[in-house]
Amino acid sequence: MNTKQLKKPTIKDIPQGRLGMWLLIAGEFVIFGGLMVSYLLYRIRYEEWAEMASHTNVILGATNTFVLLTSSYFVVKAHQAAQHKDSKKITMYISLTILCALIFLVVKITEYSQKLHHGFTFSGKELAASGKAIESSYWGFYFLMTGLHATHVVVGAIVLFIVMQGTRKGKNFHRIEIAGLYWHMVDLIWIFLFPLLYIAH
Amino acid sequence: MGTHKKHGFWHRYFFSLDHKDIGFQYLLTAMFMAAFGGFFVYVFRYNLAFGPSDIPLYGDLAAKQYNQLVTNHGAIMIFWVGMPILLAVIGNYLIPIMIGTDDMAFPTLNKISYWIFLLSCIVLLSGFLMPTGAFGGGWTMYPPLSVSDFGYNNPNTTFWSNFFTGNTFFLLAVALEFISMLMGGINFVVTTLNKRAKGMSLMRLPLVVWMVNIANLLFMFSVGPLIAGAFMLLMDILVGTGFFDAYRGGDPILWQHLFWFFGHPEVYVLLLPSIGAVGEIISTFSRKPLFGYKMVILMVIIAAILSLVVWAHHQFVSGIDPGAANIFSLLTIIISIPFAGMVLSYLGTLWKGNIRLEIPMLWALGMLATFTFFGGFTGLHLGSNVFDIYAHDTYFVIAHFHYTLFPTVFLGGFAAFYYWYPKFSGRMMNKTLGLIHFWGTFIFFNTIFIPLFWLGLQGQHRRIYNYSAWNDLLMQPEHIMARQIATVSLIFLLLFQFVFLFNFFYSLKKGKKASKNPWEANTLEWQTDSPPPHGNFDPYPVVQRWPYDYNHPEKELDYCPQTES
Amino acid sequence: MNIFPESISQIGSEMDKLFWIITAVVGIATVITLFLFIYPIVTRKRNKTKEEMYMVGNSHNKRKWVYIGMMLLFLGDMYILLKEHPIWESVEQTLPEPDFKIVIIGKQWMWNIIYPGPDGKLYTDDDVMAYNELHVPVNKVVHMDIKALDVVHSVFLPQARFKQDALPGRTITRWIKLNKTGEYDISCAEICGTGHSIMRGTMYVEDFNTWEKTMADIYKK
Repeated sequence: MNTKQLKKPTIKDIPQGRLGMWLLIAGEFVIFGGLMVSYLLYRIRYEEWAEMASHTNVILGATNTFVLLTSSYFVVKAHQAAQHKDSKKITMYISLTILCALIFLVVKITEYSQKLHHGFTFSGKELAASGKAIESSYWGFYFLMTGLHATHVVVGAIVLFIVMQGTRKGKNFHRIEIAGLYWHMVDLIWIFLFPLLYIAH
Repeated sequence: MGTHKKHGFWHRYFFSLDHKDIGFQYLLTAMFMAAFGGFFVYVFRYNLAFGPSDIPLYGDLAAKQYNQLVTNHGAIMIFWVGMPILLAVIGNYLIPIMIGTDDMAFPTLNKISYWIFLLSCIVLLSGFLMPTGAFGGGWTMYPPLSVSDFGYNNPNTTFWSNFFTGNTFFLLAVALEFISMLMGGINFVVTTLNKRAKGMSLMRLPLVVWMVNIANLLFMFSVGPLIAGAFMLLMDILVGTGFFDAYRGGDPILWQHLFWFFGHPEVYVLLLPSIGAVGEIISTFSRKPLFGYKMVILMVIIAAILSLVVWAHHQFVSGIDPGAANIFSLLTIIISIPFAGMVLSYLGTLWKGNIRLEIPMLWALGMLATFTFFGGFTGLHLGSNVFDIYAHDTYFVIAHFHYTLFPTVFLGGFAAFYYWYPKFSGRMMNKTLGLIHFWGTFIFFNTIFIPLFWLGLQGQHRRIYNYSAWNDLLMQPEHIMARQIATVSLIFLLLFQFVFLFNFFYSLKKGKKASKNPWEANTLEWQTDSPPPHGNFDPYPVVQRWPYDYNHPEKELDYCPQTES
Repeated sequence: MNIFPESISQIGSEMDKLFWIITAVVGIATVITLFLFIYPIVTRKRNKTKEEMYMVGNSHNKRKWVYIGMMLLFLGDMYILLKEHPIWESVEQTLPEPDFKIVIIGKQWMWNIIYPGPDGKLYTDDDVMAYNELHVPVNKVVHMDIKALDVVHSVFLPQARFKQDALPGRTITRWIKLNKTGEYDISCAEICGTGHSIMRGTMYVEDFNTWEKTMADIYKK
């Protein structure tokens, strides 16, 4: 029997890369959702946490929100360019996106060093020692949620970089869309985190 | 053909991207882990019946080790035996050949998920080598016990000394295992949706494919909060945050919510693939269509959704709001109804069938019977919040969940194994040895756990190394006798598994050659060679009908493959 | 062979009764299901026509037996819920006026019991702490403030059919009323470390006069 492998399976409603990414995003949202719900439950219970929340730097947080929203715009532009297989434009827009990611991380590090400087550490040992035991867990959530999100930013930037290298060789243009979806998710999670941690007093 | 050369041992078992090989790797790894789980249960059950000294093959058992063995037995059997066998093996091996395609949607992702799974096994077992010993705080990892010697509570520790502990390794292993199963799950769902053969509509999918996918989606939507909780608990141990520390703005009950929000769906994640395989087998060997195929799927989806909102029935006495407990009790008891619909559909499949009592059918019937009569029905006792006040954390609970999980993982797993063995090895299993294995396992499984039901009602509580402190309540001759019956049965149960191991390897080499379709079944995997070649089908099948046309009135034979018009 | 250990409270006896009610519901379901299970296996070799066997079950009419089965189980479920709810309400959702109050604190691996002292009030200076020995009067409502110091414990009084987790950082108040004198067990039902299996206390249920004498003795020390 030397027949060519006949038809590949034909039912293809959604490209499988995109479908897989949607599922991954759903899974990520449940993880962050678990963290956010836990945080909210505590936040409602302890009035002391509102005072801690006022120590967050709203201006830097808002800057980061703006930076991430801009980067999402660039990803959309890159996706448009990918539909025309225009690898030069893709390289430009993805580079801008990665630049935004770097700015985001620099701002994040500035914020973290401010917090640590004021004695608001991840473990909260210093706060607990100074008699503010209840408040100390607020910073646990702050660092855990923003830290986990920043890790996603790093991973997203690396993925975008690898995909960009591929498109420069003129192949795998559809991957821009999939990596872009992931990037939008990172952005969207921040949109949830920002009001939760920074704004709500 | 002949384009695919035979690969060597290393390639086949370590680097192959073929879904069949990966399924086989998962199977071997899970069997390896099951050996650990089985050995642990032997050691601590022996201690409970005959005392802690001079346990054959082990030596003396201390209380701390007892806790470690109990904890790791539970975790291994659920996360490293049940999950890989029922999700990964069934999903990997069966989904592509049952939907008529060559491989998974993402073969590399599939490989990576296996590697992560293997890594999680290694991490878990190396927990035993840590200076503090393996984790021994119960597989539910309730804080503050799981944190109590580390992090904030112990100022003498550093990050690294907290890292190299059984607790950290246990948590890391569980987290890795979840990540592996999540990746596998994404793969299964995408494969099922996108790579079906021509004509394979969703309503023509075999039941087991439906069930694996529902289980995967359920897993994805329930495990997230626990992964979040695992991060928090890990940070509590490693750097001394206070997420679950009641004196620092945390709450130990939060962990229980996060854990059980996953914990109850997890039971169904295990149950669904197993009950799906049992459905296939019952339909095939009754020579009848699966009764109410669409209804079964609907019932399972309803049960899966309900299972997301019943978690607090594990916490009736843990200090949650008693008013809320009423609602959870109601929902828990209501969940019996979709399952009743499902079991009755299966019994409708048996009704008036030309039942062939082949080995897989025996396992399937045994699974359905024990799961329904003991596992499911005692669920009503425990779902009632009032009786749960008494029964919570006693051996009644232990017997109940072993009566749900043992049939699910082992009876259902063996049913699937014996059913698809001819397909994956190309040979038939020895029938006599199969019979011995089935009756040995089935009888001794029941004689382990029926005494435990009674001990639980007597007030014997869980995870106790030695009952000598409860001399009047739990050390009467009849209690000691009941424990010994359970332990001796367990030892026999374990010994009968060697029959299986022998049969497995013996038949692999010396078994009778299997034809393409030894059970005269309809689904696609039986239309290709045994074992299927690389790429599975040549040419790809075109599906003409649903998978359960047994004894169709217009057909001459009593079965009608899905490819036949 | 008895199924339960002796019951020493009214509520406990009602809970035992509830167990038998559920078992009866389940028993009826088991008998019906068992018949549906065994009959087809016994009659498997009888001749059946293809028309008889090709039962797809895709219309509501064909599935009516499944629906009837589910309805029956639903009725059984509702019956269980009706029977259990009043008990739950009286055990967990109501707090009758106390005759006597104590605090019980779980700690690795013992039970600390705080008696109110001669003034009869808890959380005052004359409170008295005892270890692993709980004396309560018979036929009186006793309130227990349940706490834990280090990890999660669980106060389990098997004969009283009572159980409540003890959590660090929380105080949970529950009540018991016992109707039989004697010596009974206090177990810890939640794993709490290496010494979990030695964490046992004794509860002495005494008639009122003996109990008053015991209390006086404890307070003297």
